[in-house]
Amino acid sequence: MNKLAYRLRIYRSVVGMNIKEMLAYNLWFWSQLGAHLFLTIVYVSFWKALYSERETIAGLTMQQTLTYIILARMIAPLVQWGYTQEFGYWIREGTISSELLRPVDFQERIFIGHLTRTFVALAQQLLVTGSFAVLVFDIRLPTDPLIWLSFLISLLLGCSILFCFDWIFGCVAFYSTEVWGLQVVRGSILMLFSGVLLPLTMLPSGLQTLAQWMPFAQSVSIPVSLLSGITPLDQLGSIWLQQLAWLAVMLMLSRLMFNFSVRKITVQGG
Amino acid sequence: MSVIDVRNLGKTYRTIEKEGGVKGAIKALFRPQYREKVAVHDLNFQIDAGEIVGYIGVNGAGKSTTIKMLTGILYPTTGAVTVLGHDPQRERVANARNIGVVFGQRSQLWWDLALIESLNLVANIYEVEPSRYKQLLSHFSEVLELDEILKTPIRSMSLGQKMRAELAAAFIHEPKIVYLDEPTIGLDVMVKQRIREFIKDYNQTHNTTVMLTTHDLGDIEQLCSRVIIIDAGSKVYDGPLHAIKQQFGKYRTITFETNQPITNVQLPPACEQLSLSEYSLELKFDRSQLSASQVATALMQQIDVADFTLNEPDLESIIKHLYQNPTAYNEVAVNE
Amino acid sequence: MLRYSKIYWYFVVQRFKILMEYRLNFFIGSISTVLFQGASIIAMWAVLRQVPSIQGWTLEQILLIYGLLTLSKGINHLFADNLWVIGRDYIRPGQFDRFLVRPINPLFHLLADRICHDAIGDFIVGFGLVGYAMVKLQLPITLASISFIILMVISGGIIFIALNLITAATAFWIMDSIPVTNLVFSTNEFAQYPLTFYHRSVGILLTWLLPYGFASYYPASYLLGHSIGWMAWLAPLIALVSITIAYRFWVFGLKHYGSTGS
Repeated sequence: MNKLAYRLRIYRSVVGMNIKEMLAYNLWFWSQLGAHLFLTIVYVSFWKALYSERETIAGLTMQQTLTYIILARMIAPLVQWGYTQEFGYWIREGTISSELLRPVDFQERIFIGHLTRTFVALAQQLLVTGSFAVLVFDIRLPTDPLIWLSFLISLLLGCSILFCFDWIFGCVAFYSTEVWGLQVVRGSILMLFSGVLLPLTMLPSGLQTLAQWMPFAQSVSIPVSLLSGITPLDQLGSIWLQQLAWLAVMLMLSRLMFNFSVRKITVQGG
Repeated sequence: MSVIDVRNLGKTYRTIEKEGGVKGAIKALFRPQYREKVAVHDLNFQIDAGEIVGYIGVNGAGKSTTIKMLTGILYPTTGAVTVLGHDPQRERVANARNIGVVFGQRSQLWWDLALIESLNLVANIYEVEPSRYKQLLSHFSEVLELDEILKTPIRSMSLGQKMRAELAAAFIHEPKIVYLDEPTIGLDVMVKQRIREFIKDYNQTHNTTVMLTTHDLGDIEQLCSRVIIIDAGSKVYDGPLHAIKQQFGKYRTITFETNQPITNVQLPPACEQLSLSEYSLELKFDRSQLSASQVATALMQQIDVADFTLNEPDLESIIKHLYQNPTAYNEVAVNE
Repeated sequence: MLRYSKIYWYFVVQRFKILMEYRLNFFIGSISTVLFQGASIIAMWAVLRQVPSIQGWTLEQILLIYGLLTLSKGINHLFADNLWVIGRDYIRPGQFDRFLVRPINPLFHLLADRICHDAIGDFIVGFGLVGYAMVKLQLPITLASISFIILMVISGGIIFIALNLITAATAFWIMDSIPVTNLVFSTNEFAQYPLTFYHRSVGILLTWLLPYGFASYYPASYLLGHSIGWMAWLAPLIALVSITIAYRFWVFGLKHYGSTGS
């Protein structure tokens, strides 16, 4: 019991630190938000022009697609870049050995920090881009709290899956000196197969199958489809089950991979 | 003939006072509150061709600001600088051709390039004539021992290697004036010595003017015939090195050792006791009023002196004394 | 001029040597740019294969716009990428001063200091798309059309550089200029589609205020035979005006730097 209280205290300070860090870069924040808003306008205009030709595309109405696209755009910055560069930095600068000595599990601590940042960014996005979308683009967001709740849970699971993927990716990437290039490769694949750019049902069937076998759709396409009403709520059970299965596999792999890498570092004395 | 002419030079920085947060930032945008800080105030000096001048003072005294104005990086607020007939700011390019600069802690070279490639680039930028370049390169390689590092990229050099590389890059276009900002900082004794010899040698063979800021008084003692001391933005001393010793170091100390315990000593006038223990006595006296032999004679008549040592004030302790007691500057007339 | 091209050539040769030293990085750098653009293009293709055209624009026609924009962006990427990091990598660590004590133009020195080879990826994608679109659309590939494209791409590249130069010069006041550059630069995304897709105000913005439209939409319209009149030939003039204004602003910023020093 005492141990739990201790952990919670640490988590609270990790959460607080991450929020402070994010708010410190004021100018950065507004710049990113502005750039993001511009790109959202580009996307929405494109899709509106597209729907001027047809009533539905791949079975989706304009309202459904636009809601999907705007929500996916909001989540995109949260998943686009991951933390591979930071990861490489911890390992190269040798901070990882001191990190490993701390009483709280390293992966757990980084995970809490990462999740905090993700959800603070989501709140900012919902506030600014969300209200802009509702006011200017006439998007109707669901009012049913149940839908929001299931979206948030699904997003939490999705982000955890992606976190584990990035953890594995980070363990691989630090062998390369060109972390930035690898990260762009990761970003490109993620952009296409996570559903950030378009609802995955619009992809040709071959690419759709490929997307199903990658973990990326779990973090964007699945939660956003729930919130935009593309996926009906009665499928919730099977969706969560599927996400949990992904999470279990990815978590196991990430632990294995990390232990392997750490052994390697300690052997090399890096 | 003076090559650097500084008249009534002053620099005042104006910074906007910011309050925190978005509100403060917006306020600063529309109704900025300025705060002024005088970095250099009414500076005057002339430097002749071929002089090596040590420009010294505590951190924040205005050394860097002065150097930046002389090199054309900063605009003066008041007064004027003329370097070889050019205004370094308005005729920046013309001035840049005449000068070489080494900023001790910032590299002028390209991080990823081998030294020889960096030097080639610099030579290209300054349009050094190829045959002349070749000649200088082989000369520098010898004096600065560059051979071993010519193919090494700057990023993998030691501090000493880096500084030798910087010097070669700063001198490769045979500048008439060289500004060296802390050229020996953090280096070991051997490298320091080599660098000093290089500067001295180059100065003598090319009649190059050197202005050097440093915290290492060894640099000053070995290189500089003239010293300018700046404090809180104003010049407080300008003159030959040996005059500092005469003017600021008017006290000498003398220490007597005895075989028997010292008791009851009558000191000569203009002489002051610094410390006294059972077998040793340390005195301080004004060299303009007393000679060492007068003090020694006076003391030998009273106590059984086994040995005595006379201490000249060294530059380091004089400068330290000056830095710590700004009022001490007033003890001498500034040599104009 | 001759002197400057000689010095620039030296920088290029040095850059190439570094590049050869890190061949793998170069390869990954270029590939990553291609992949990143590839993802967007595949997505666009996936959607557009389901409709014959959008407001009269076919997939190939939109790819022509996209390709022209990518080529202009590539010019900026290749020659002026260092403008992004002037505050972070030069002014803050005091490295900018070394440009000011050398007998060449500091802006030239800054740009030459890092020629960005990652741009090769932009050129591969850009050439590929423009070539593909020209062939598919059966547009005449003649000396005249090629010269037109080259002129427009260069003008577009200069427009990109001009806008980045203005935002980079803010570093003389605020030090960290990347967010400012990022914000302005991101509006070029509007220019990857026909400007008619957007609200009228976006068209005006991208034509007269942040004239990225001249890098893509206007030249593509001309090549496709749309009647846009003299607007087709305005790009070089716009480029000239923007770069002049941008350089003036840069010099103004440089003056400010000279009075504060940091």
